[in-house]
Amino acid sequence: MQTTVKSKALDTFKEATKTILNPVLKRWIDGGGKVMGYFCSYGPEEVITAAGMVPMRVRATGSTSTELADAYLSSINCSFCRHAFNAGLSGDYDFLEGVVWLNNCDHVRRIYDNWRRKVHTPLPVMMSLPKMTTDTQVEWFKDEIVNFKGALEKHLGVKITDDQLREAIKVHNETRRLLRQLYDLRKKENPPITGAESLAVVVASTCMPRAEYNGMLKELLEELKGAEGIKDYKVRLMLLGSILDDPNYVKVIEDMGGLVVTDSLCFGTRIFWTDVDEKTKDPIDALAKYYIQDKPACPRMFDQQPNRSKFVQDMVKEFKVDGVIGLRMVMCDLWTGELFMMDKDLKAAKIPLIRLEREYAVVGAGQLRTRVQAFIESIGGRR
Amino acid sequence: MSRVPKQPEKAIKLYKDDIAYMQMLQDMLAADTSEEGAINRAVIQAVMDRSNEVLQCIEKDEPFIASWYPYSAEFLTAMDVTWWMFAQTAFLGIESPHVADDVDGGERLLGSDFCTVLRLLLYYVEADMSPKPSALVALLHPCDGTVIAHQAIKHGNWADVPIFGADPPYWDNERAINYYANEMKKLVKFVSEITGKKLDIDRLREVCEESNKIYALWQEYNELRRAIPCPHDWTLGPPQAFAMATYYNVGKPGGEEWFKKLIANAERRVKEKVQPIAGGERIRVLWFDILPLLWQFDIQPWMESEWGVNIVMNMFGYTPYTPIDTKNEETMFHDMAKRSLNDFPMVRQARGVADHFLTDIEKIVKDYSIDCVIWPGHMGHKDGSANVGMMREKCREIGVPFLYIGLDLFDKRYTSPDEVKDILSRFFSQHGLGKR
Repeated sequence: MQTTVKSKALDTFKEATKTILNPVLKRWIDGGGKVMGYFCSYGPEEVITAAGMVPMRVRATGSTSTELADAYLSSINCSFCRHAFNAGLSGDYDFLEGVVWLNNCDHVRRIYDNWRRKVHTPLPVMMSLPKMTTDTQVEWFKDEIVNFKGALEKHLGVKITDDQLREAIKVHNETRRLLRQLYDLRKKENPPITGAESLAVVVASTCMPRAEYNGMLKELLEELKGAEGIKDYKVRLMLLGSILDDPNYVKVIEDMGGLVVTDSLCFGTRIFWTDVDEKTKDPIDALAKYYIQDKPACPRMFDQQPNRSKFVQDMVKEFKVDGVIGLRMVMCDLWTGELFMMDKDLKAAKIPLIRLEREYAVVGAGQLRTRVQAFIESIGGRR
Repeated sequence: MSRVPKQPEKAIKLYKDDIAYMQMLQDMLAADTSEEGAINRAVIQAVMDRSNEVLQCIEKDEPFIASWYPYSAEFLTAMDVTWWMFAQTAFLGIESPHVADDVDGGERLLGSDFCTVLRLLLYYVEADMSPKPSALVALLHPCDGTVIAHQAIKHGNWADVPIFGADPPYWDNERAINYYANEMKKLVKFVSEITGKKLDIDRLREVCEESNKIYALWQEYNELRRAIPCPHDWTLGPPQAFAMATYYNVGKPGGEEWFKKLIANAERRVKEKVQPIAGGERIRVLWFDILPLLWQFDIQPWMESEWGVNIVMNMFGYTPYTPIDTKNEETMFHDMAKRSLNDFPMVRQARGVADHFLTDIEKIVKDYSIDCVIWPGHMGHKDGSANVGMMREKCREIGVPFLYIGLDLFDKRYTSPDEVKDILSRFFSQHGLGKR
C-alpha cells in the first residue's frame, strides 16, 4: 500500500525519518546554521526559530542499543528515553547548540538531569510545564517562555524581538495549516497518501528549516491533489498514543489492510490541529495560551481528559474511522491510564479500540501483524 | 441534601474489617509491655482513630475529604476537617490474606508496570472497596502515576465526587513556592465550599506552631539516631515518625506527646548503649525509599538476624524539618507551600531536579555514619530509577557502597524475598559488610 504519486518532496521527507541528521538539516549546519533540540510536543519551537535556529525534535532513529544509557538509567525507564539518551552519549547529537526539556513525563525529565551531566551540549534548558490548563497556568508558562527566550538570547548573544517571534509563529502556523490540508486529503474515501507516508511528512516537519519544509510540503500537496486514491484497504484506522516516529511501524499495520487515516499522536495531529493566535498583541501571550490551552492536550494535563476523549471521538467521525489503535510505550504510566479511560469512553461510543504495547526501536512485526490482523477481522464487516 | 455520598456497602465492610485487623494487631502487641511497644501501639491507635473518624463522618453525615500527606495538612487541622489518605486503605492491608488478590485486581485495570499502590487505589475505588469521600484532593506530583491515577479515579466510580488538584511547578525556587502558595489558597477555598468550614488564621497559627514543635522533635529524634548503635531497630523510628508528623497528628498536641515519649526512650537507650539488634548492629543502612510495606516481615527480620542490618534512615524519615513562619497569613501559606513542594519525603526528591537525591544521600551518609546505600528500585518509581547512575556515582565519590535491587515494595511476587535476600547477601559479602 503506497501513494501512486512520484514525489521528490515525499522522498526527502521519508529520507529525513531514516536518520537523525538528515541531508537538509546537514546542509543547514554546513552553511553555518545552528540547531536546537527539544524533547516534547510542548517545546515552544517558535522561540527557537525566532532565535535563528532550527528546532529539532529529539528522536533516536537508527539506535540499535542502549548500552551506554543503561549505566545511568534502568530497565523500568521507557525505551525511547534509553535510546535517546544513548544517542546523546554516543555523540549523535553533538551538532546541537542546545536542548530544551519540559517535565512532560518522569522518564524524559530525568534525561535532562543525566544529559546535563554527561552530554556536553552547550545549552541544556529545562522548562516547567504545568499540569493544569487554567489562566493561572498560562501565566506561569508565559514566564517560562520568557525565561527560555532569555536563556537563548544570553547564550547566542542576540536579541529576539517581538517581530521575530511573530514571524516565527506565522511560519509554524503555515506548517500547521499545510499539514491539516494533508490530513483533509486523508478524509477522502480513497486517500492519496498512506498513514506511513503521512507520518514521514509530519516527522520531517520537526527536523528541517521550517520555511524550506513548508515549500516542499506545498509541492507535495499539489502533487497529491490529482493523485489516484488508495483503494486496496479493508478498514480505516486511527492511531492514538505518544511518540511514534517510525513509518515502518505504521507500514506493518497498513500491509495488513488497515489504512491509517488519522491520529492523535505527538508526531501527529496534536502538534498542528490548532494554530497559535497571530492577532494577540504579545506573541509570548499567544504562545503560552496555545501550548497550555489551545493545542490538543497530552494525558499529563490533569483537567483535560474529557476534551482528549472528545478529540478522539470527533476524529473518528470526521475521518470515518472504523477502529482505533491505542499505542502505549512499555513503562509509560500516563498512557496506561489514558488508554484505560479511553477504552471505557470508546466502548460507550461503540468505537472499536485495540490497545497495543510497543518498544521504541523494535517494530516487533510478527506480533503486531497478528494483533492487527485479528483486530481488522473483528471490525472488517463494517466496510 | 446529604453532604456525604452514598457509601458502597462492600467498602464499609472492608474498612471495618481492616480496623478489626488493626485491633487484632493491637491486642497482640498488648503483650509487649516495653516502652517501645507502647510507643508503637500509639501509632496503631492513631491509624484506627483516623479510620473511625471517617466512619463517624459517614454515620453523622459530616463531610470528609480524601487527600494526601504532601498537602501540608496544617490547614485541614485548623479547619477541623476530617481527612484521610485514601492510599491508607492499601497500606492497611499489610500481610492480610486479600491483598494479593487486590493487587491482581489492580493489574487487570492498569497492567503490571504501573505502581502497585496506585493500582490498588484505583482498584479499591472501581471495585467499590473504598469509602467514598465528600471531595477528593488529587495529588499531581511527584510522579506520572499519581497524575493519571487521579484522572482515572475521577473518570470512574468517583465521577460525582468533587475534585481539586493543585498544580505543582517543577522548580523549587521562590517563584515556584509563591505559585504553589496561591494554589494552596485555592485548595482552602475548595475545602471550605465542600465542608462549609472556614479557615481562621489565628487557629492556623496555633496549629502551625504546634506543627513546628513536632517537626523540631522529629529532628531531635533523628539526631539521636546518629548514635552508634542506633537507639532503635527497624520496628520503631522513621516510618512511625513520618506518619505521626505528616498525617495522623499534624499540628495536634498528641503528636508532641508521642514524640517526647519516643525521644525519651531513644535517649535512654543511647545513654545505656542498648544494642537495638541481638548480635549487634553491624551494617548501618540508608534505605532510600519507602520500606517494603506489604512484605516487610519477609525481609527485615532476616536482614537483622543474618547480617546485623539496621536501617538507620530511610527516605520517609528524612526531611529538612524547616519550621513554618507564623508571622502572618502570607508567611504561613508560603511555608506550607515550601514544605509541600520541597520538604515532604519522596515529593522532595522525586518531583523536580534530581539534585535532592544526591545531596540527601551525601548528607545522610555523613550524618548517620551509613555503611551502605540501598536504592530498592520500586517498579513504580520510574523517575528515581532514572537516577541510578547519578546515585551510584555520588556514592562512589563519597566512598560508600551502593546497591540497586529492582523490586515491588507492595508485591513480593515481582522480585521474591528469596531473590532479594540473595542479592543483598552477595552485596554485603562483596563489600565485606556485616562480618561477625
